[in-house]
Amino acid sequence: MPENRIGVFLCHCGSNIAGVVDIQRVMEAIRALPDVILVEDYKYMCSKPGQQLLKDAIKKHNLTKIVIGSCSPRMHENTFRQALREAGHNPYLLEIANLREHDSWIHSDDPEAATEKAVDLVRMAVARARLLEPLEEPEVDIKKTSLVIGGGIAGISAALDLANAGFKVYLVEKEATIGGKMARHDKTFPTLDCASCILTPKMAEVGAHPNITLLTLADIEAVEGYVGNFKVTVRQKPRYVDTEKCTSCGDCAEVCPVDVPSEFDANLAYRRAIYIPFAQAVPSAYVLDMDNCLGVDAVRCGKCKTACEAGAIDYDDHERVLTLEVGTIIVATGFEVFDATQKPEYGYGEYPNVVNIMEIERMLSSAGPTGGHVVRPSDLKEPKRIVYIQCVGSRDERTNRYCSRICCMTSIKQARMLREKTGADIWLFYIDLRTFGKGYEEFYEATAEAGVTFVRGRVGEILQDDETKDLIVRGEDTLLGRPVVLEDIDLVVLATGMVPTASTSHVAHLLNLSLSPDGFLMEAHPKLRPVDSFNDGIFVAGTAQGPKDIPDTVAQAKAAAAGAMALMGKGRIKVEPYYSVVDEDKCAGCRVCISVCPYNAIFVNERGASEVNPALCKGCGTCTATCPSGAIRSQHYTDGQIAAMIHEYLSAQQ
Amino acid sequence: MTDAIARETIHIDDIDPEFVDALIAAGADRIRACLQCGTCSSVCPSGRRTAFRTRELIRKALLGLKGEVLSSPDLWLCTTCFTCLERCPREIKTTDAIILMRNMAVREGFMLPQHRKTSMKLIATGHAVPINDANMTKREELGLDRVPPTVHSHPDALEQVQEIMRRTGFTALIEGQGEED
Repeated sequence: MPENRIGVFLCHCGSNIAGVVDIQRVMEAIRALPDVILVEDYKYMCSKPGQQLLKDAIKKHNLTKIVIGSCSPRMHENTFRQALREAGHNPYLLEIANLREHDSWIHSDDPEAATEKAVDLVRMAVARARLLEPLEEPEVDIKKTSLVIGGGIAGISAALDLANAGFKVYLVEKEATIGGKMARHDKTFPTLDCASCILTPKMAEVGAHPNITLLTLADIEAVEGYVGNFKVTVRQKPRYVDTEKCTSCGDCAEVCPVDVPSEFDANLAYRRAIYIPFAQAVPSAYVLDMDNCLGVDAVRCGKCKTACEAGAIDYDDHERVLTLEVGTIIVATGFEVFDATQKPEYGYGEYPNVVNIMEIERMLSSAGPTGGHVVRPSDLKEPKRIVYIQCVGSRDERTNRYCSRICCMTSIKQARMLREKTGADIWLFYIDLRTFGKGYEEFYEATAEAGVTFVRGRVGEILQDDETKDLIVRGEDTLLGRPVVLEDIDLVVLATGMVPTASTSHVAHLLNLSLSPDGFLMEAHPKLRPVDSFNDGIFVAGTAQGPKDIPDTVAQAKAAAAGAMALMGKGRIKVEPYYSVVDEDKCAGCRVCISVCPYNAIFVNERGASEVNPALCKGCGTCTATCPSGAIRSQHYTDGQIAAMIHEYLSAQQ
Repeated sequence: MTDAIARETIHIDDIDPEFVDALIAAGADRIRACLQCGTCSSVCPSGRRTAFRTRELIRKALLGLKGEVLSSPDLWLCTTCFTCLERCPREIKTTDAIILMRNMAVREGFMLPQHRKTSMKLIATGHAVPINDANMTKREELGLDRVPPTVHSHPDALEQVQEIMRRTGFTALIEGQGEED
């Protein structure tokens, strides 16, 4: 083994580390360690002069291994590796002792102990550095095709950006049409332009784009592979209607004898068993809901097939399983509306005149179940007194702890429209109004001027007059400190928040993505990598990542598309060499490693020995720990390196 | 109805920053998470009939207005029905907090005259509500002994009960304050 010449560099991080840890004492303790040639400290090692200090020292002292005591390697490992490369050094001959997140920040109340810990951490890093080996970074090709999961406004925006940049896109949507939740909205805040007017041109563009393959009624079933080379299995349910032949004339629905509550209309109206979700659906074709169909033969029904002049209906249509090969994946699986029956004190589902904001959206839409008139569900009369209740299910320890962000503006928008359309008296009960976006505060101001009364307080309970179905709302005007009891209320609207969909957790499971405690997808870094996932080549966008409004959703979708393009445009990527390596002389071919590998990265080669695919392997070390022959080693985290750290920690200091 | 907006300016001397800590230490955890949303007041059956405002009491406590909170007669208007606690979106133990504040109030010397009278009766007779002729007649009608098997029928036990109250400090608490009146 060549001689080890180790250089140790301790970063003060301003006062972040040096304010707690006694750097001088650490330096003294380290200096005498075997193989340590140089111990230096600097105010900010990550700064340009700090990096220069490192590069100069490597050359001047002919250092072979570098130890840096600084912040977490998650922060600046790449910075320092680059500095090593620039000094003509292999970047993997670097070890970072985390003196900030693991020490000074969490032990700021005990500088003495923090200093001792810093000495231990640096000693251990030196022990590991002695055994570090130079590693080469393998390169993999990236397929110039992207998979976008979810066809709401997020998926649509991302798919269009990718397709317009020249990349092939598969857009997978579980419903019969793209458009998502945005298609169900009437107007958008704060401009009050109609949601479908701005959405449907984008939908049509997706439908017609030569670079986009649209797969509706489809679900992701399995994902294999790695960045650049994902293999995705998609299961597509039969539509029973040929989208090429269907002219959307509607003759089939006219003769269909089955009425089913329409999901698109928030179950406020009926659709037929054969139906089109809404007029501008893409693909523009009917779909047969076989679960509710009476039967496809002439004895049981079969009316739609007879009525279809285009011959588009095919009762023998069947499920398809497709395998897609893509380089990048964007997850945009969207949200669901909070189920207000979880707050029984508000009577949703029990009192007919308590509705949620999505139901009002459908009623406000001129294409909706009531032709644009908001009515009391109990008697279809126009409400004269309306109460809005904010934060239903949100900011609540029992349901969702988070703020859903969009409900304030959605309620304000609806209240403004209702006030202007009908002149109804509207009270909007809120805890805090969050009108954070561009033009939102001005919209709130104009709504107050339009005569909507804002009451600062949360409603505690709602009672119903069982005869008239009128409602009694009990709240407090907290600014006056007086209870408020509003009787004879015609309609109560619950500002229900966003919750993650079942599809999100399903897709997260298949793609090995993390979820935050609220159940939404977790981004790789809340500030600096807001659309990346922890898995290379997989991006997150829209409300699948957390509640957000349309502008933020589109911004995030475009960012995710840009992230995917950055990878695919380059076409190749270097991956970290943290993969496992099998010593074939020791491997007995027992295949235990194959059974425990969570990434399906190990296969048996033609010599009957296990072999690891470096691009698939994440370096988790499960196989290394499991191998009964000790034939597998995890590069950069070898047993020897880890044992040396433990041994150093447990041995007495000089 | 009284105007609930306080007219007096709050000064730094009115604020005891340790009051909330004391409440939390005594068991009213999460009180600092209060949103001041008013759910507690809006469902309070007492507040609909009296000047009692749960939210306002919690707010004053959070601000550290110890003197104002503990001396307030409103503190005693809560019926401890627990509705506020069940509805609170932040799962704050509002009712527990009120009970803790009452304990503190008594220790600080604030007690309603009615409560003290009842307590004095307990010390003197072993019963907060001693039996009367009407109840004795009712017991007979129900086939029970005319006098219940308590200190009423065991006068010798009264001394023991009084000893318990003395040793637990109850007597000093009640009588000590009697002197202050």
